[in-house]
Amino acid sequence: MATIATPVPASAPEPTYAETNRDVIATLRPPGRKYFAGMAFILVGLAFGAFCWGYQLRYGLGVTGYTPPIFWGTYITTFVFWVGIAHSGTLISAILLLFRSGWRTAVYRTAEAMTVFAVMTAGLFPVLHLGRAWYAYWVFPYPNFRGVWSNFRSPLVWDVFAISTYLTVSSTFLLMGLIPDVAAVRDQAAGWRRKLYGLVSFGWKGSDREWRHFGKMYLYLAGFATPLVLSVHSVVSWDFAMAIVPGWHATIFAPYFVAGAIFSGCGMVITILVPLRKAFHLERYIQVRHFESLAKVCLLTASIVAYAYATEFFMAWYSGNPFERASFYNRAFGQYWWATWIMLTCNAFIPQLLWFRKVRTSIRALFVISIFINIGMWFERFVIIVTGLSHEYEPWQWSYYLPRWPELGILIGSFCWFSMWFLLFIKFFPAVAIAEVKEALPAPVRAGGHR
Amino acid sequence: MKRRRFLQVAGAAGAGLAAGCSSGSTDRLLPYVTPPEDIVPGIPTFYASTCRECPAGCGIHVKTREARAIKVEGNPAHPVSRGRLCARGQASLQGLYDPDRIRGPFRHTARGLEPVTWDAAIAQLAEALGAAAASGPDRVALVTGADSGALDGFYDEWLRAFRSTRRLRYETFAYEPLREASRLAFGVASVPEFDFASARYLLSFGADFLETWISPVQYTREFAEAHGFRDGGMARFVAVEPRRGLTAFNADEWIAPRPGTEGLLALALAASVVRQGRAHLVGAEADRVRGFLGRFGTQSVAEATGVDEAVVDRLAREFTAAQPSLAVGGGVAHQHRAATQTAVAVHLLNYVAGNVGRTVRFQTGRALDKLSRYSDATALVTAMAGGKVDVALVHDANPAFTLPRAAGFADAFRKVGLKVAFASHFDETAALCDLILPDHTPLEQWGALETVAGTRSFVQPAMTPVFDTRQTADVLAAVAQKAGKRVAAGAASARDLVAKGLAPAALEQTLQHGGQFGPAQQRSVYLVSDFARMAYQPPAFDGDAAGPVLVVYPSASLFDGRGANKGWLQELPDVATKIAWQSWIEVHPDTARALGLGTGDVVTVTSPHGSVEAPVHVYPGVRRDVVAMPIGQGHREYGRTAKGRGVNPLDLLGADATDASGALAFCSTHVKIQKTGRSVQLASTEGSARQLGRGVARAVSLAAARQGEVEEGPEATITDAERTAIAAAAASQRQRAYIGEYAKPQPKWEMTVDLSRCTGCSACMTACYAENNIPVVGEEQTVRHRGMAWIRLERYFEGDTSGTDWQVRQIPMLCQQCENAPCEPVCPVYASYHTPDGLNGQVYNRCVGTRYCANNCPYKVRYFNWWDYGTVGDPYFAFSEPLNWQLNPDVTVRTKGVMEKCTFCIQRIRFAQNDAKVRGRELVDGEITPACVQTCPADAFVFGDAHDPDSRVSRSKADARGYNVFDMLNARPGITYLERVIRGEGA
Amino acid sequence: MSARTGVVGVFGQLDATVTAIETLKARGYANYRVYSPVPRPELAEALAKRESPVRLFTLFGALSGTAFGFFYAIATSLDWPLITGGKPIIAWPPFIVIGFETTILIGALVTVAGMFLLAGLPKLGRAPGYDPRFSNDKFGVVAFGGPAQLAEAREIFGHCGAEEVRDV
Repeated sequence: MATIATPVPASAPEPTYAETNRDVIATLRPPGRKYFAGMAFILVGLAFGAFCWGYQLRYGLGVTGYTPPIFWGTYITTFVFWVGIAHSGTLISAILLLFRSGWRTAVYRTAEAMTVFAVMTAGLFPVLHLGRAWYAYWVFPYPNFRGVWSNFRSPLVWDVFAISTYLTVSSTFLLMGLIPDVAAVRDQAAGWRRKLYGLVSFGWKGSDREWRHFGKMYLYLAGFATPLVLSVHSVVSWDFAMAIVPGWHATIFAPYFVAGAIFSGCGMVITILVPLRKAFHLERYIQVRHFESLAKVCLLTASIVAYAYATEFFMAWYSGNPFERASFYNRAFGQYWWATWIMLTCNAFIPQLLWFRKVRTSIRALFVISIFINIGMWFERFVIIVTGLSHEYEPWQWSYYLPRWPELGILIGSFCWFSMWFLLFIKFFPAVAIAEVKEALPAPVRAGGHR
Repeated sequence: MKRRRFLQVAGAAGAGLAAGCSSGSTDRLLPYVTPPEDIVPGIPTFYASTCRECPAGCGIHVKTREARAIKVEGNPAHPVSRGRLCARGQASLQGLYDPDRIRGPFRHTARGLEPVTWDAAIAQLAEALGAAAASGPDRVALVTGADSGALDGFYDEWLRAFRSTRRLRYETFAYEPLREASRLAFGVASVPEFDFASARYLLSFGADFLETWISPVQYTREFAEAHGFRDGGMARFVAVEPRRGLTAFNADEWIAPRPGTEGLLALALAASVVRQGRAHLVGAEADRVRGFLGRFGTQSVAEATGVDEAVVDRLAREFTAAQPSLAVGGGVAHQHRAATQTAVAVHLLNYVAGNVGRTVRFQTGRALDKLSRYSDATALVTAMAGGKVDVALVHDANPAFTLPRAAGFADAFRKVGLKVAFASHFDETAALCDLILPDHTPLEQWGALETVAGTRSFVQPAMTPVFDTRQTADVLAAVAQKAGKRVAAGAASARDLVAKGLAPAALEQTLQHGGQFGPAQQRSVYLVSDFARMAYQPPAFDGDAAGPVLVVYPSASLFDGRGANKGWLQELPDVATKIAWQSWIEVHPDTARALGLGTGDVVTVTSPHGSVEAPVHVYPGVRRDVVAMPIGQGHREYGRTAKGRGVNPLDLLGADATDASGALAFCSTHVKIQKTGRSVQLASTEGSARQLGRGVARAVSLAAARQGEVEEGPEATITDAERTAIAAAAASQRQRAYIGEYAKPQPKWEMTVDLSRCTGCSACMTACYAENNIPVVGEEQTVRHRGMAWIRLERYFEGDTSGTDWQVRQIPMLCQQCENAPCEPVCPVYASYHTPDGLNGQVYNRCVGTRYCANNCPYKVRYFNWWDYGTVGDPYFAFSEPLNWQLNPDVTVRTKGVMEKCTFCIQRIRFAQNDAKVRGRELVDGEITPACVQTCPADAFVFGDAHDPDSRVSRSKADARGYNVFDMLNARPGITYLERVIRGEGA
Repeated sequence: MSARTGVVGVFGQLDATVTAIETLKARGYANYRVYSPVPRPELAEALAKRESPVRLFTLFGALSGTAFGFFYAIATSLDWPLITGGKPIIAWPPFIVIGFETTILIGALVTVAGMFLLAGLPKLGRAPGYDPRFSNDKFGVVAFGGPAQLAEAREIFGHCGAEEVRDV
């Protein structure tokens, strides 16, 4: 979809406190036909995904395209994809908070919500890729009569801890940030809404005492979220790096994956913000400069990722390890050349356009590029996982994998699942952080003019 | 009588259990009221018997549990099999439990198939026979398979009782040329006994003696004895044939003459031997032979065969330099219009080399010598077509499938008044019959075979019949009685015939032993000159000479097609092409390129006699002017597994394509190959045919091996410093790992595989299927690499495959039971863990199916249950009644979504350990054998406790040829492979 | 706090609010409360409260998280020692990951709990003198005390330019 950016004229005055409240809370007005149409579409997709999983549960993983020795495919690819998406949210909301960068306030709420929902989506995949999903809870170390705990040496158990911690902390972070805004919504609502928002705001009043502790708490949460976000994707990357599969077993993986995650996340933030901003007329709050900053982050991380690709190929060659060499030669020129080149084009080449200010400040261009970034980052994980497995040590056991319809159905379903939560969110909670936007605005003073 | 009663009791109990297993309900599970003395629940009972899957007649032990046959192994006391067994022999179990078996007597009427009672059937048959006998001599025809001993005699006698001598001992491969050549050369129309074991130089003209030829299990054992590397020595093996199959894979040198010219080459060799004055000939005979061989100048032969003169002279020199040597002819070399001449030539070569009487011995009374010829079969067809036969009985043979369609068996057969099938399946022949009287399968039968001279090999039931079937001999006896004839002194049953002349005690003792095995009576032979009268030139081929010659060869797993309804054999990848479930045509890469063909392209293969469609398999193992197709598929009837699968290349052959001995010339026509434009995915298990220097399957030349040198792998790049560092790290880790149960003194189960013995016969794979309840996944899943075989035979080509100077590396790949197993630490739930006795345990009911272990296994020997193979009623249920009767009670049937793998047959290990414990004895080295080790005809495996320095495995590990695959990964595998040794020219 | 009589001044400007607070302090008022839609450093300065003790909760939570993570991993591994890949039963590198994650998890949760405790949330009842506008664009100062003090407060608020002064 194309979206026409309506840049805020320089003359336009900064919004006042009241305007901010008014405009943001306006986003919570009862939705229109378009919204319901979209929601219906999404629910259909979700239902199809659910059907695919049911079908798979009934007959077994045989319904997928898995072709040994390729035992992981679309599901794990999509898992890593969504975890990656999650990361930029925390980056913007927590890390940039620590860095006191002003531009985050307008976009962080969306980003943070995206984080939570992306993790909720990602969390599904390790379960539904299992051969016996109904025993997924066995990976948690809980006391049981079998007397067996979890194998803490397994990266998958690290995953369990990392992902669940990440989900808890990031959703807490989102909830805490919401408190003052929900209070604001409450104070303008009536009837059951007032009660509901009253509960969610924990009865926040904005007294000096509340603000005092709240501020610190928020700071420390950000302090926790920052190392967490770095650890989570490192742990995810270790699912691969800890294995001895050629093409997986590399120390570069942790930083490489974190960079990739933020890259894909910022891409997704742009993809979401452009239509959101348009639909809710938030141009005054989510401004072009915000997009430009996001674009800069994309450009930086894209370059890091491109560098990582280069390093991987270089190391494969330089190591002299015949297995690594074969694996990477196959990656670039083997059966999966197409996936690899999609990845390189979308992640390494196209983002280079962002060097140009003109591109960075054109909402339409950014939107298109962000789509490419999303596609490219999905393929990055596909390339790493599938080409690695397709061409391992044992030449007799080389083969070729392509996903089958149940896998694609579940992939689509995951997007719908994510969008469903997001759509619900923007109708129930302020998609822009009222308090923090106001915080960034000049306070009203007696002298009248700004000081 | 006691045994009969016991079998009844056992069978009844078995039926009860069966109901329990299949329906999942327990209401039929009843305890024994009075336990039968031969059955101890949980303890297997073995019955000695004889394998009937091919004419070789291997001795077998049928392992039964709770009166249910669950596995077939070789009988160690038997002279033919010596305790080993091939894939086909082991699959006889699936014949016993085949859900497509005919479950009772049937009659074909206008209304179609309808069940009859045995009595009615017998009455009808007796009546028909009476009438036939009355209307004149030879109105009755009886077709059986290769039978011998008591029952065979009975059949003839029975036939005589009805005034007929029309008896066919029909086998698809009856070795007529060999027998005829023996007559022409030595005056003895017999298949000689070949002594591979003591030969120091082996020359095979097309004989696939490691696959189907005469006695594969015995020959594989003997070949491994001779050709396996031991104490710095081994025999050299040169294979001469236009298509390189499994047997030729094991050759040190492959020579590919033009099809049909093998005989000329053999003669040229003999001539060269004589010319070089190396012939073991004396006196007038020497002159005669020299005179005869003089006709075959090396040069003219070189032109005819396409084999260089120098090569001929070299081979002649090598062949005679090694003493004793052995030349054998068979397979494709004995399946063209000059087959008999070829066989004579090979005999002569052996004779001049002085091998006759040493490695080629003639004996009296081999079952093979009595086999009917192909020409006898066609004669019967003519007789039937001419209305000369009123009653035809077919037992243990399927001529409607194994005779070329051009022979017109079906049409002639239809002309017979009453056609009776004593078959287990509605195969092509049974489908034509009026009466279907289902026979017992060999595991339910009685018999006493005299396959090899000097042996009397018994067949006895291992359990009560699964279905309402009767042994043919019993039926025939009943029929004779009904018709008022007295046959075999009124013997009423096969058992009576077998027991004749044996006191009950003696019978019991013989049955336990498996038979009476005496020394073979040798007969000395001398050269007779009849052979000289034949014309020796390349054979004629039908069809347009522009097209390639079609080589039709028996499938090593399906044989002549009789194995086609057995899932184990269908799923067993072809030993050479590694394709399962399908038919294919092998085309040389250059030829394929010329025709614009790729692997999987479906082509129309046309001969003057017919045409079939098959996918192309581009294969360097055939000459450019040759294409090859396996026999075995293309059944139009038979059963759910076989029916409508693949094509039968016999449809391309002419019925009158015979040689001097009246044998069918399977290799007798040129074919035309046309693209259809369609393409299919071949169900091949081959990922890459090249190992790209990864040192998976290694080989070393004999010269190098003698110096203690070996072929090195990628691990060679690790420096000694690194090795010591790794060792130190390992030691410290070990210290912190091996606590608790692990710290106690434990055995460490390890295995060695001698690749200089392994022939790639794949018997181990079927053994594993049988022992470990491995599901058969079918064609579509095999295409998707989802086969479940825990042990597989990998086959790599080494060297430039454009010519003939390349080698084949084969290696059995199974779980390496690594000490530092990469598969273990990645499992989140401890389903994969290390047992204190050094195995990679896999806890099926703990596995949640992350498949991480399989990703991290460098050897790719973990197999995932993509479907629900083990649940009754599931669309993918792999053990449909009564196949589930075969399941090994000691092994779980795995459920959907779990990973499974080899654990060195942990159940066999534990059984032996428990047995030792209850008997308060020590385990003996070699007492424990995983199924693959137990059955290996080449005895390539050694298994045992590596913590015991004196165990065979410990000593075998120390061999200089020993290596670990992917050693640089430091997984420390528990399997040590001993490099194959290739004995080059002269060496 | 239980509802005591007080007076609230509703301010439209930040600096007015600040002066009001400062004057109250100067007059020796101890018992007053400030409502604001956003946290402003100016207000914090004016109020001059000491550092929030939330950080103590954070420290405690984080440390106990670390301890728990390592203890759990080690204890369960020793409970039934099973060798995987020949690795030590107590394998530090992987346990560090576990310890790290639990540090963050428990640390974060305890911090939040601490904030709720200190800020007296949740507080679902009405707060004396609170006005919905305080979450929008107005600042509010509520002074409590005896009638005399309240009168004075009223006067101060008015003087400082409160848009509205009410008793509560």
